[in-house]
Formats: sequence, structure tokens, C-alpha cells
Amino acid sequence: MRAEDERYFEQLESQLEEAFDVAERAKERGGDPEPDVEIPTARDMADRVENILGIDGVAERVRELEGEMSREEAALELAEDFAEGRVGDYETKAGKVEGAVRTAVALLTEGVVAAPIEGIDRVEILTNDDGTEFVNVYYAGPIRSAGGTAQALSVLVADYTRALVGIEQYEARQEEVERYAEEISLYDKETGLQYCPKDKEAKFIAKHLPIMLDGEATGDEEVSGFRDLERVDTNSARGGMCLVLGEGIALKAPKIQRYTRNLDEIDWPWLQDLIDGNYAADASDGDDTADAAGSDDGSNEADTDENAENDGDDTDGDETEADESSDEAAVTDETDTSDSEPVGPPRAEPSKKFLRDLIAGRPVFTHPSSPGGFRLRYGRARNHGFATGGIHPATMHLVDDFLATGTQIKTERPGKAHGIIPVDSIDGPTVKLANGDVRRIDDPEEAKEIRNGVEKILDTGEYLVNYGEFVENNHPLAPASYVYEWWIQDMATAGADVQALEDDPRIDLEFPDPAEALEWATEYDAPLHPQYTYLWHDISVESFCTLADAVAEGWVEAEPREGAGTGANDDTLVLECTESVQEALETLILEHRQRPDENRIEIDDWRPFARTLGCEPRQAVADGAALDSDVGDADSDQASDSNSNSNSDSNPNAAHDNTLPIELERTWDDDDLSERARTWGHEDEADGANAIEAVNEVAPFEVRERAPTRIGNRMGRPEKSERRDLSPPVHTLFPIGEAGGAQRNVADAAKHAETMSDTPGIVEIQIGRQQCPSCGTETFKNRCPDCETRTEPDYRCPDCDQSLEPDDSGRVECGRCEIEGTCVEPREIDINDEFRSALESVGERENAFEILKGVKGLTSQNKIPEPIEKGILRAKHDVSAFKDGTVRYDMTDLPVTSVRANELDIDVGQLQALGYEEDIHGDPLTHEDQLVELNVQDIVLSDGAAEHMMQTADFIDDLLEQYYGLEPFYEIDDRQELVGELVFGMAPHTSAATVGRVIGFTSAAVGYAHPYFHAAKRRNCFHPETEIVYREGESRSIYDKQQLESDDGLPPEERPQRDSIRTFVEDRLENPEQDDFGTEYQELDDDVWVLSYTGVCCPKRVTTVSKHPAPDHLLSITTESGRKLRVTPDHTMLRFDEDSSDRLSQEYWKAETVSAQELSPGDELPTPSPVGERTVDDFLFGPVKEINDFPPAVTGWDVISDIEIIESDTDYVYCLEVESSNTLSANGIITGQCDGDEDCVMLLLDGLLNFSKSFLPDKRGGKMDAPLVMSSRIDPSEIDDEAHNMDIVSQYPREFYLATREQADPEEVDIQIGEDTLGTDGEYTGFEHTHDTTDIAMGPDLSAYKTLGSMMDKMDAQLELSRKLAAVDETDVAERVIEYHFLPDLIGNLRAFSRQETRCLDCGEKFRRMPLTGDCRECGGRVNLTVHQGSVNKYMQTAIQVAEEYDCRDYTKQRLEVLEKSLESIFENDKNKQSGIEDFM
Amino acid sequence: MPLEGPARIVSELTSRGYNAEREAVTHIASADHPAAVLEQVVEEMPDDALVVRTDHVEAVLAADEDPSVSTGTRPADQHDSVEQVPAETGGSGPTAVAESEANERIERNNDPSLRSLEIDGDMTGNSTGTGEYEDFVAVFRDRLERLGGKLRGRVNHRPATAIQSMPGGSEAGMVGLVNDIRSTASGHWLIELEDATGTFPWLVMKDREFADMVDQLLCDEVLAMEGTLSDDAGIAFVDSMYFPDVPRTHEPSTADRHVQAALISDVHVGSQEFMADAWDAFADWLYTEQAQHVEYLLIAGDMVEGVGIYPNQDEELDVVDIYEQYEAFNERLKQVPGDIDIVMIPGNHDAVRLAEPQPGFDDRLRDIMSAHDPQIVSNPSTVTVEGVSILMYHGVSLDEVIAELPEEKASYDEPHKAMYQLLKKRHVAPQFGGHTRLAPEEEDFLVMDEVPDIFHTGHVHKLGFGKYHNVLAINSGCWQAQTDFQKSVNINPDSGYAPIVDLDTLDVTVQKFS
Repeated sequence: MRAEDERYFEQLESQLEEAFDVAERAKERGGDPEPDVEIPTARDMADRVENILGIDGVAERVRELEGEMSREEAALELAEDFAEGRVGDYETKAGKVEGAVRTAVALLTEGVVAAPIEGIDRVEILTNDDGTEFVNVYYAGPIRSAGGTAQALSVLVADYTRALVGIEQYEARQEEVERYAEEISLYDKETGLQYCPKDKEAKFIAKHLPIMLDGEATGDEEVSGFRDLERVDTNSARGGMCLVLGEGIALKAPKIQRYTRNLDEIDWPWLQDLIDGNYAADASDGDDTADAAGSDDGSNEADTDENAENDGDDTDGDETEADESSDEAAVTDETDTSDSEPVGPPRAEPSKKFLRDLIAGRPVFTHPSSPGGFRLRYGRARNHGFATGGIHPATMHLVDDFLATGTQIKTERPGKAHGIIPVDSIDGPTVKLANGDVRRIDDPEEAKEIRNGVEKILDTGEYLVNYGEFVENNHPLAPASYVYEWWIQDMATAGADVQALEDDPRIDLEFPDPAEALEWATEYDAPLHPQYTYLWHDISVESFCTLADAVAEGWVEAEPREGAGTGANDDTLVLECTESVQEALETLILEHRQRPDENRIEIDDWRPFARTLGCEPRQAVADGAALDSDVGDADSDQASDSNSNSNSDSNPNAAHDNTLPIELERTWDDDDLSERARTWGHEDEADGANAIEAVNEVAPFEVRERAPTRIGNRMGRPEKSERRDLSPPVHTLFPIGEAGGAQRNVADAAKHAETMSDTPGIVEIQIGRQQCPSCGTETFKNRCPDCETRTEPDYRCPDCDQSLEPDDSGRVECGRCEIEGTCVEPREIDINDEFRSALESVGERENAFEILKGVKGLTSQNKIPEPIEKGILRAKHDVSAFKDGTVRYDMTDLPVTSVRANELDIDVGQLQALGYEEDIHGDPLTHEDQLVELNVQDIVLSDGAAEHMMQTADFIDDLLEQYYGLEPFYEIDDRQELVGELVFGMAPHTSAATVGRVIGFTSAAVGYAHPYFHAAKRRNCFHPETEIVYREGESRSIYDKQQLESDDGLPPEERPQRDSIRTFVEDRLENPEQDDFGTEYQELDDDVWVLSYTGVCCPKRVTTVSKHPAPDHLLSITTESGRKLRVTPDHTMLRFDEDSSDRLSQEYWKAETVSAQELSPGDELPTPSPVGERTVDDFLFGPVKEINDFPPAVTGWDVISDIEIIESDTDYVYCLEVESSNTLSANGIITGQCDGDEDCVMLLLDGLLNFSKSFLPDKRGGKMDAPLVMSSRIDPSEIDDEAHNMDIVSQYPREFYLATREQADPEEVDIQIGEDTLGTDGEYTGFEHTHDTTDIAMGPDLSAYKTLGSMMDKMDAQLELSRKLAAVDETDVAERVIEYHFLPDLIGNLRAFSRQETRCLDCGEKFRRMPLTGDCRECGGRVNLTVHQGSVNKYMQTAIQVAEEYDCRDYTKQRLEVLEKSLESIFENDKNKQSGIEDFM
Repeated sequence: MPLEGPARIVSELTSRGYNAEREAVTHIASADHPAAVLEQVVEEMPDDALVVRTDHVEAVLAADEDPSVSTGTRPADQHDSVEQVPAETGGSGPTAVAESEANERIERNNDPSLRSLEIDGDMTGNSTGTGEYEDFVAVFRDRLERLGGKLRGRVNHRPATAIQSMPGGSEAGMVGLVNDIRSTASGHWLIELEDATGTFPWLVMKDREFADMVDQLLCDEVLAMEGTLSDDAGIAFVDSMYFPDVPRTHEPSTADRHVQAALISDVHVGSQEFMADAWDAFADWLYTEQAQHVEYLLIAGDMVEGVGIYPNQDEELDVVDIYEQYEAFNERLKQVPGDIDIVMIPGNHDAVRLAEPQPGFDDRLRDIMSAHDPQIVSNPSTVTVEGVSILMYHGVSLDEVIAELPEEKASYDEPHKAMYQLLKKRHVAPQFGGHTRLAPEEEDFLVMDEVPDIFHTGHVHKLGFGKYHNVLAINSGCWQAQTDFQKSVNINPDSGYAPIVDLDTLDVTVQKFS
């Protein structure tokens, strides 16, 4: 690390320290649940283990053991420590076993998952039938996150400790053994096990296990036999137990065996039987592995190595194979080169994927690879990173403001979605105005001025994508546009002194005069400058010839039409105005003026254009001896010279320029064109569709393709920058029950009285009982109201009311009643008094705020309320609390690597104060417009965020002053003072906060920060234990499957299989591409199908498998039916989309994609749910078309019960790329692949002061989205690898551009990317960019999608825009909107109508069918439909109108017609209709 | 009925009044398709013979091998359908249509004045519901009223509210709609009946003889129960349970003369799988002597393949335009002899509302389907032809009945058994909220108020017929070859069959045209 980086981090950390001190002092004084700051900083694994367990001394012991032995051995070693009381303060034997087991799991999971806490509920001692004692370990569902090995080892550790503390083995009763077997298969059916032991195997294990495995019920399904057993509490499947037995013991037997052998105290001889008994199919193999494992005392890695060696006995053979394959490669290379004559221009394959599920209101900007659409330009602007695309701000305005900074779009390539960033150093759009002018607009201001006059957007300008994006998506390079960066290197290659040209102040190399451009083109053997290279490849050879004719017949008017200024460059070429010429010129996006009334088209700067067409300008008079000769370089030189140096008197022609008319001569005939040029075109196009070869044959210089790749895209979701409020917003986490009304108004609650006789403000509420240890006062506050002592929770048994103490593991259980104790009690609270005294204590009056909102009840375990005082101050400053007590602001992530002071609304002095000294060129920082390289943890706040942060700062200051009695900390009057303050950045639903520092502000509604900062917060992918179901072999339909099954059966290799994603990926990483630090990936050649989702479940091919170093944290999502999935926080998930599914019946419910962190408990996730007798596996076979009697309802929905942030327990996470749908079913939940990027910021001291775990909901997953830990500095090696793929150079080499023409693999090109600098001194610096942009917040501040009102307005705007864009087929857009939005809605609602539920308007009771009484059976209230006519036909007329107006197919129209008739038939009374009905009787 | 062994063959022959030589039995048993051979042997037995001899069997077997004689014999895999034909129908198996016959057109000379055709229950033009909550309530009340009326005589019924206030241990009876069916933890069944006053739970003990009838219950059908109230009067233990049902004594009406009706459905014109050749053969056959008594053609829905029935259907349509589909269908109708009276109802592929009852086609479609001036009525409707009442219903609810009921009660292979269930419940689509869509009208047009003589459905594309309490239930096959969807759910459609009913005897003959 460089010294300056070290200084930077030290600066941050000292600031952090300072805030920490303040917070600690405050906490000591206040009435918070804990007297300390609750966000810890964990330094290493040992700390984490100790922190997570809360057992003192573990960390020290772990550190001692760490270097000496493997973790597994350390766990056993620690078990001894626990048994002998060296570690942990346990008195009971059960406590010792429990401590040892938890520690073992924590250790094996590196202390980063909740499994040791939540996965092991308790350990208890029960008695065998013979009266001896045995150990029962009570597992819970979250043990899943520990993984098989840790699960299995926990059993071993339990047994080992049991033996050490002297407890007997468990003797399973016969019915218990049977129960295990039944239960495991039940659980497997219901939830699915990675490995489900067969009945016999399960019984065998159950019978021999020396300890009893038990657990809490995780599902609704109950076992049918072996119910109500004495020693088993539940009749449901115990998920935790099933996991440990199935995925742990059964699957990891060889691994456990390795450790049992080293332990004298315990003996599991049956393991050997298990391994090579009747149960394992390949007994001998199992034996081998076991032997290998047994003889190997080392770690797993060593084990695998050995296996690999054993497997590879014929290493020689392998080598030969390798040789052969390389030979082959060579051969193919040869063939490639010999086949050097390409048959057509290189083109990337158009892909329509991104248009899928187009919905109303989100416009298409470019149809797949359509001319007129976004032209791919390679480069990385400074605000570019991963998953971003640069668009000219003028375009953003011209597409009716639908695109703003941060708006997400779905793209054709290279990735799926991009966040839009404004870049004005690329080409802007070309438009045709109502007055006939065709102009390129390179200035956003100009765009705003002319946008009302835009008739057609002929070209949307360039689309900047960085090289890294192709690397990240592993997408072959698409042919590059001919751009300045390439041309300048061509010039250099051609021998031009580029340096000299660059230094010449008269020359603008990027935007030269036409004369200069022509001169360079002819003088050097370099292609024509890109600014004068038109889109020749988009016109046909035919129209090229037509155009040449038109130009030859055109004339030059020396007198400039408008404005003053004379000289050769101001003359104008005038052509006859014909339709074909107009069209050709518009396609070429050559700037010109169409004047159809005067029958003329005027072209300024026409010379390069005319020359490219093979037309030579000549003076009309006969002095052109020199000009008369054949077209030659010398000639052209002279011509150009004469033009460019018209003021020089060396050339006599110059004098004539203004006086003599110039005529144009076409120097070639149509017949001169070669066959090749005449028929040139991509294989998908007609012959001769591409005139570029013709151009090159007739032009006196080389002309390159200006825009061979167009990137199709459409709008995704809009950008986001808004405060995070709960709904309804909450100011204080103080419960007021129903007394506050729907508003939860504390002031109302203070006055509320149920009846006249009640005292106002007295409300009975479930609240935690605390007791003062010194004076014994009972209260609900954290500080004794009488003596100011900190109080303690007062646990009692709910049955016998005995006072209880939490045991060693923090659990409270009544020894007598064997039920859990609690401190929660219903208690009458005088809210009025609380409210008034809180107001008084902070010295505020009730009119200091508009309303103070509390919560109805508390959801945390001990129901500890927050002091009302905090709420009063929050309300005063109009900020609201998140469920953990913090104040948050959400922003879409955008990356930026270099910034200017002036765009951040700060001055140089402020930058210098933050430690910025030099600009990116190493010059001293003196001006506001100098670019400086952003430090990795510095962030830019949106205006809204800054505003909100200031409010929060004021709140914190008041809090410190008025509540804690300390000095204010922030004292911010002006937002400039926010600069330099620290914040927490958090990806929602993670548990780790990253410290960031405010560096400035932007008007864009996004959060700009260093890409590494964003990436530090997240990572895409699945936990290794995630189970996927897949199938190999050819694509088969379900019908094929049935056929095969009835014949010879499905070939074994094609049968559906289940595996952990780790196994799946590892098996296929045969020859992976690997980068320097661990990301391995491989494209698959073989067909492997996984279960995917495209609205219905269907199989999709896996294209790539990959393995990534794991991030620090994962999200663990648990559903009500017990499914569980661990993904990276930004993993794309599918969620029930309430808006678009509104009122649709279930089978038509739609899913939207959200990042995992946006999910919250209660959200519904799609799950594959087979109809009839089909199984989930059947979805691996293609569906055959559905009849509407059999709705395509193959998707069920599962409700998230819990989401929690867990620290990741593995070294790697894994991912699959799934063709086209990008979704797959993992652990029975259908999820997407990766994107998503909304993070939040909170003010540092707010987090430190107000966050408390005690507020977090008690349910599983309540701990998600809370800053359980923070990291103060980013280690680039530990961040999401997508950021590592960002290129960091200032120029892409010429070879790169050439390689794009070959559509090479991105890895074949050498461009430095972030990962190249990892681990070096330069890892925090040197992020260079190829393109600058004037301001990172150009373009509209908000997308029109957000400013337009109703869905209809949005759709109208969407369709209107599609008419204007040349690259968009408006009929297709309309068809898609009807097909994907309106029709499903109409059909679904109609279907829902005719089979709907009804609901009581008064009590909300639902009825499957209308009650015959007509009224509610529960309350006698009014019952009404849930789906009404209005919701069924709300889109009918619109859809018909759109279909008409946009000329949709008859098929579509007829579908609408039939539907409309159905609606009439249902909702209209035949007898009241105008028209007669007798006609057909 | 599978005929695995000689013993079965003997017993089968015996049941048909024949004795058999041992060797003949062996011969039949060793044939590839004993059932079919047996059928044919029986058919070809001389009228006076009582013993099946070897030579009888050999003759049949030889004929089977000779293609010239057996042009129309069903291919091997179709024998399944033959076996399905329940003995009680008294109908004969599909008859081959010899080509020679088919080609010989005869002059059809029927006397139209002898015919009579009445429509009952057509709600076309009478859709008065406007989709309000009250409309729904009215439908279900009407259902209870009309079907309950058939049950009230059988039990000593009391309103739910009255039962609620009866003392524990009393005997009680109730008529109501099934509101909910649940199994209890101990394996008993809890059935909630609802009438116009409220609901009451009825417990069917798992060991009661009628416990397995619970499997056959569908929500929203009308049921009567009788039983004893529990001690706390919160629940009643069911002692008996009654369905509206078709009386066992039901005697069907028949025509006074020998006249036949062809009952078909699911033509699916416009589909790429429409079997034009089979239809042509059918139309041609109608001109033959064999068909001279066929004077009525009843079509139970799905005239055309429709548009927008499933996603991306346009890619699989032969005729994409819906109106052109009906025009094409009309052309198909024109092929049929002009003197045949045609009745048709819409199905779920037709361009009418999907919610049932479905009114007949609108004017525009009627104008298109003008050939032979067909009667176009709603789904369902009852057609009385020369005294024989035929309830025509497209059959969407069959999917649900088959899905909900145990396989032996209803399956795609035996669609008529699913129809029996509907007859038993006296309602064509009892369950609300599932597959079947309901459009609320002022009365429940889906109730079978009168017992029909024939119940005719389609939709599932399987041929099956049989008699339930003397009501002939016929599910006609289709004219569409197997579609991908059917492949996916493993339905082998019975395509190209025309069941012909003798209206004077209600016997069924199946003609095969593919």
C-alpha cells in the first residue's frame, strides 16, 4: 500500500474513532438498550467466532490453534477445552456440549453465518430407557447454512464432548428410528435435500448415532406414522435434523471418519459400514476414497490433490491429449487465416432477448441491431464502471427525457442491463427537424431547444461501453465503430507525426476541418477521419450509385446560404431533392438541409462526402489541366490543399474558388464496381445491402465502417434517490398500540381513551419487563426511572411466573414447566406521561413537529422500546427511523473514478482539505475543473441525499445536546460542511456497512462512488450449497420424455439430477479460464439444462459456469415452506409484481426482478410448482403449448418468512449463466442471475448512536439489513469481482479495435483491468479512463418515467417516442405492449372474474364462493367481489385503440375483438341492449 | 376389459351366450389382440350357432390378416377404445367403413315432416347478468333451490341456522351446497354444507361405508345429509348422504321410428392438426346407405381452433383469421347432406365468452355459418329430437372432474365415467373457482333440471360412452390429430370418430374415419 493510501485510510479511521468516542460517551448516559455502540469492528476470524458466540476466551484459543492444525481438529481440540472447563463458563454438562458444538460450527463456518446461533437451538440431556443419560442436540433450519461438513462435525463434536464429560450414548427406540426415515423422506419431498438417504440408510444412521438429533418443526406436512412420540415434540418434519442427518452424516461420512479415527474416546465403527455398506452404489469407489481420506491427515485440499493424482494415472495420456488439442488449435488457426477473404462484413448476431416482456410505459430506444440505433463505441468514461452504458446527454433529452443519469436500461449486449451515465465526449444524436434540417446535436442545451421541432431521430448517437463490460459478461467483442481513438492510431501507424499534429494549436484532431481530414486521408495511408465517415454500410450499393449520380448532377453554390463568412469551406453542395436521395442522406446521417419546396438539398462541408462517392470537384472553366487528369492522390492533395489553404497564394486555383462555379464529376460507372463490391452484405442481408466495399473501390482513400454494431435497448427500471421510510413512516420505535389511530400518532395516543371512564393515554401494550438490579423497580425502560441504574430484562415463566435467569447460551427456560421464559408482558403504559416527560426532557414543545409517529407494537424478542425522546427529535427534523433505529437514504449506485470540484459543487480548497493534492496528470490542484482521481471510499451524494443527511445531522446534534447532554457533533448550516463527513454505505439486506466519506454533491438522482466502494458492498452469486436441478442431453419436451419412458426409459445421463451448485460448477470447470485471483469460469459446450422461468417454468441451457471468491456477506432467504436460499445481496431475484399482477389470478401472476437486498419478509417468490402428477423435474423437459383450460400456471409462490444477512461461510460462490431467460431454480426458488444496485447511506453517528440489535424483529431474517458489522477500509481483493473487470487504461490499443472486427474473445486482448493491479501498491489508484465527460450529472435529472403521471400517460409517451425513433418499429412496440401487458391483464382478469373469491367489506373475511346468505357469515357485513368489471376491462379500450393506431396484426386485433365481446356478454344485459336480439332466433 | 387368460375369454363368451371349443379359446388367447378378435368372432358368429368353434376363430384371424377385406379395421393400438365400450351400453364397437360402400352414394330420401326438434335451455340472448355480486349470489341460490328441491323429500331437512340451535344428540337433516371438504387429523372427513341461512359442519367418519364417496364430492354441488348432532351440537355425524342423482328408475324416451343422430364435437377447423381427410370421409359416408337414417348432426362445441387460446397460437394455426376459420368450417358443413338437421353449441375455442353458460354465436358468426341453416344454441342446451332429449354441453368441467376425482371414477380414458359424475350431481359444472369459469346469470343454466335421455359432451378429445341409470352419456372424440399440448399431458385423442345413436333404441354405433 502506498503511503498516501495509508494516510487516507488512517484519516478515515481517526475520524471514525472520533465519532466512536462521542457515541460511546453518549451511550453511557442515555437510555439505550445497550450502554455501548452496537456496531462492532471485527478484525479476524477468531474475533468473529468469539463475537458471534459471545463466549469469552474462544478467540484467543482459536488463534493459538489456528496455525497448528486444521479447523476441524481445532474444533475437536476446543471441545476438550469446553469439556474440561478451560474455555467457557458452563456449569452443566449440557452447557458444555452446547458450547463445544456451537464453537465447532462457528469455527468451521469462519464465524460468518448465523448457523452456530440460530441453527443449533439447544442441547439437552434426556434419559435412555435404561435410565442412563444421553445428549440431544436440537437443530433448527438455519443449520443449513453451515454446510454438510460442519453439520456432520457438529454431531461428532457433540459426541466427543459427551464422552469427555461422561454421558452415555443415545439408544434409539425402534419407533424413533422409523420416524427418522419417514421424516427425512417427507422433508425431502416437501423442501428437498441435497442428498436424501434412502430409508434403510437413514434407519441405519439413526440406529447407530450416539447422540440424538432433534429439531424444531419446519414444515406444515406431518408424518403419517410414528406420530406423537414421547421424545419427539412435533409431528412435522424437523428440517434441521433432516439436514444434519442427510446432508451431514450420510453425505460426509468419509470426512467424519477421518476424525473419528484420531479420537480414542469415541468410536463410530458403523461409519465404515455406512460408507461401503449396501447404501453406497459404488461400494468399491467409496472404499478407495475412504482409504485415501483415512491415510491423509492433511486438509481437504490435500485430499483432493491426492485423488486427482490417483485418477490421473495416465498423466502421459493426458499430455498427449493436450498436445493434440493444441495441434488442433493450430490447425484451426491455419484454416482461419487461409479463409482470410470474409464473405461479408463482421456483425454481431442480433438478439431480441431484451425486448421480452416489454411493458407499457418503458420505451424501446433501439430495436435489435437496428440502423439508426445506438452505435457501439468502445471506451470507459470516468463515470463508467461495471454494468453501465454511456449515452450522450443530448440523446437523453431527445428521447423525451426517458433516460436520466442512473436509469436502468435492458440491453442487447454485452450484458443484460446497464445503468445510464451521461458522456458528452461521444457522438450525439442526429435528428431531422420539422423544417427539413438534418442535424447532429452535440450539445444538451441545443437538444432542449430544438426538441419540439424534432420530426425524426435518425440516429441516437453513440453508446459507450467499456472493454471490461465485455470481459465481465464474457461476450465476444462486437465489431468496433470507426472512431477517433482508432483513427489516431491508424494515423500513427501510417507514419503521421501524431504528436506534432496534437501539439499544433490550429488543429483539432478530433474534429478537424473537412479539408484537413481529406488531406490526412490522402497524404497518409490512413482511413478517412471518422467525423467525415458516414454510415455507408447502411445504404445499399444501389442507393450508393443513385447518390453518386445525384451528386454528380449537383452544383456548388459558393455563396454561403446563411450568415457571413466566405471561403471555400463555406460553400454548399446543392442536390436535387428526391426521395431516394433524402432517404440515403438520412441513413448516412450526413448533416444537410432538405428544402422540398425549392426542390433542393443543401450540404455544407460536402467535399469529403463527394470524394467518398467518387465524385471529383472541378472548376467549371477549362483551366483545370491539373484537375483534368485521372483521379490520383496527387490530384486530390492539390484539391484539398487548395481548399484548406485558400488564403495561401501559392495555388492559383485558390483565386477561382469563390468566383468560378464548381462542378462535380463522377469518376466511375456502375459497371466499374467489382462483383464483390456489388454483392457485399452480411449473410442475413440481401446482396449489395452494404455499400462500404463499393465506397472503398471508388473513393480515393480508405473508408471504414462507422457503425457496424448497433446496440438494441429499452428502458428498465428508473433511477432511484429517495429516503427510506417504513410505511407508514416511523419516528420512534415506541409502541402505542391502536391508540394512535391509523397514523400511529403518539400525540393522539396520549389523549386516547377507550371509554369515558378510562384515563386518557393509558394503553395496554406488550412490552419487555425490566428490573432495576439495585432498587428492584419494575419498568420497561433501560434505565431505572428511580435510581438511574441500568435495568435488566426480567424473565419469568409464563406458566408458573417463576423468575428465571438466562442460561449459558442466553436461552431462558423454566426448568419446571419446560417452556421458554419471557420478559414480555402486557403492561399498561401511560403514553401521555411518557410523551410529556419526553418532551420536557429534550426541552421541546409539541409544536416543534407536525406529527410524531410511533409503532403499533414491537416485533423484537424482548420488546424493548426506544426512548420517545429520539422520536421527538426525529420528528422535529423530519427524518424517520428504519426498523433498526437508523435514518436511511437510498440511491442507485453509479461508479465514478475521477471527479472535478466544480461538478461536485465544492471548491479546490475542500478537496485539498480532504487530502487531494494532485490532479490525474500529477499537476498540483489549483482549479475547480481539474480532474482528480477519486479515493475508494469517497462518495458523492445526490442533492436529495445531501438534504436528508443535513436533516439527520441536525437531528443528531439535537440528540447529543438535548438527550445525551453532550456537545453537538456536526453543526452543519450549509451543505458544504457535509463534505468530509463519514457515512455508512450499505447494500440493503446485507449486514455489513462500509464506511464512506462525503466528497461532494450531484444533481443526478444517484449515488456516485468509486466502483470499488459499490463492489465492496456486494457480490453476485449463490452459496455453494445451493441445490440446483438439471439435466444433460438434448432438448426434450415433456412429451419426448413420456415417450422415452414408455419405451426404453430415459437414458440415464439425461435424467434429472440434483446437485449442489458447487458440485455442478466444479464438475464442469474442467479447463477453466482463470484470472489472477480466483475467478474461474468456463463456457459449456455440452447441453446442460436447468429449470428456468420465462413466465412459466421451462428448461434453459446453461452457457457458462463460474466460481468467484466469496464476498464477506450473503443474504439468507427463508420462506414459509422452509425453502432457503443464500445469495449475494445484489443477486437478482424474482418477486411477485403486485403492480402488473394486480388482480390477476394466481396463474397469471407476474414476477419482477429485484435485487435480493430489496426483498423483505412477506414478499412472494416464484417457485416451480408442477400441476397434476408432474414433478418439478418434469420442468426440465420442454413444455408443449398450453391450452387455456390448462393455465400456464406452473409457478407457485412462496412467501419469504425471513431474510438475514449472514457472513459468508465459504471461500467461493458459484454462478451459472442461463441462456436467454437468465433465471434458474435454486433450492426450489426461482431466481434471476445478477444485477441490482440500490444502496443506502446513513450518517455515521446516527448508526453508532441509534442502531440497536434489540430493535430488530425476532423472526428469522430480522437481522438482515442491519449494520451488524462495519468495515473501515476496503480491500480491493475482497470486493465483488465484477469491479475487477473494469478496465483502467487511457487508450485501447489499435490491436483491440482490429480484434473486434474478428469478434475475438475479450480475454484475447491485452488491456489492463482492475484485477491486474490487485495486491500491488497501485491497487487503490491509477484508474484511468478513455473518455471524459463535462459533468457527471448531465441530461435530465429525473427520467420522464418518474415525472409522467399515470400508466396511460407513460404508455402514450412510450408509443409516441417509438414513432420518432428511426431505430424503433412502433408496430412491434405496440404489439408487444398489447401482447405482454394488456392481453395477459385482460385475459387474466377475465378469468379471475369468473372464478373469484369474495371478501367482506366490513371484517375482511374471504370466501371462496359467494355465501348463499349474501352477507358475511362471520359478521353479517356486506360482502363484495374482489374482481370487478372495472378492473377487468380497464385496458380494453386502450388496447383496441393502440392496436388500431399502430396498425397491429389482424390476429392481435381479433383477439381483442373476441375479448371485447366476451366482456360485453358478461357485463351487459342482453335485454337492455340497443340492438335487437331476435335477429337470430 | 382386459382378456389375459383363456378363463376370462371363456367367461366373456359365456356372458354373451356362447360356449366355446377349448382350441378356439386358445386361438383367441394367442392372438395379438384377444379382445378385438373376440369381438369380431362374436360379431361374425352365425345367428344360430351356440358354440364358438376353431374355424370361426380362424376365419376371423385370417380375415384380419387380409388387408383387402379389412380396410376399415382399426389398427392395433386402437383396440383400447373397443375394450372401453362398456357392456351395458349394448352398443357395438366401431364398424369399419368399407371403401366400396363409402364410394357408393345413395339418394337420401328422408321425410322432413317426420322430424321434430326442440331446443330447451338456450340462453342465447338472455344473458342478463351484469357481473355484479348479487348476480353470483342469485346463481348459487337458484342452484340450491332447484337441485335442493329434488332432495328435500329424501331427508328431514332443516335450515343450517335451525340445526345450529338444536340440542346435542338430535337427529338432523340438511340440504345444501358443499362449501368445504377437509380431512381431519384422525382421517375423518369434515364437510361443510351451506344453505341460504348459513353453514353447518358434517363429519363423515372414515369407517362409514359411504366414506369413500367423499372422494367424489366437488365443492358447490348440492347434497343432502342426515345424521346425529354431537353432544355439544357443534357438528353432526353423517348417517346418510344423498345426491340429486338420476333416479334408477329413469326410463328414457325413444323415437317412434328408426332414425339416427350423429354426435360429434371438437372439429377444430383452422388448426394445423385438423383432420380434413377424416372429415371428408365422414361427409362422404353420410351419403351412403349405411347412413341413410342419420338425420341429425349434433356438434358439441369447438367448431374452430380459435385465436389467442394459448400463447403464440398464431404460429400454429392453419387459418390465422378467426372469421376465415368459421368460413372454412362452414365449407366443411356444406359437405354434409343438406337434409340433415344440425345443432351446435360453442366450446372453449370458439369466439364467444369462455365463462359458462356460453351464449350461442353472435350474428356475424351466424351469418358465416349459414350452411344448412343450423340451430346455434348456447352451451349447455337441451335438444329434444323426436322425443329424445339430448343435453349438449361442451365439457370444460370434465377436466376438473377428472383432476379432482379418483382415477377409477373419472379418467381421460373413460370420459363417460366423468360424465356419470355430472349426472349424479345433476349439474354440468358444479365446482366454482377452479377450471370452470362462471358467468353469473339470473338462473343457473348449468343445472340439469330434467333428466336428459342422452348427455353429449366433447372437449377432452376422447371417445367414450356408456349408460348411467339408463341415461346415455357420450363424449365424442374430435377431428383434430394429437397436439403438442396433448402430447405433454399424455392424451391420445380419439380423432375422426362419429358416434351414431339410434334414437329409437339409444344404441350407439361408432364410425371411424381415420
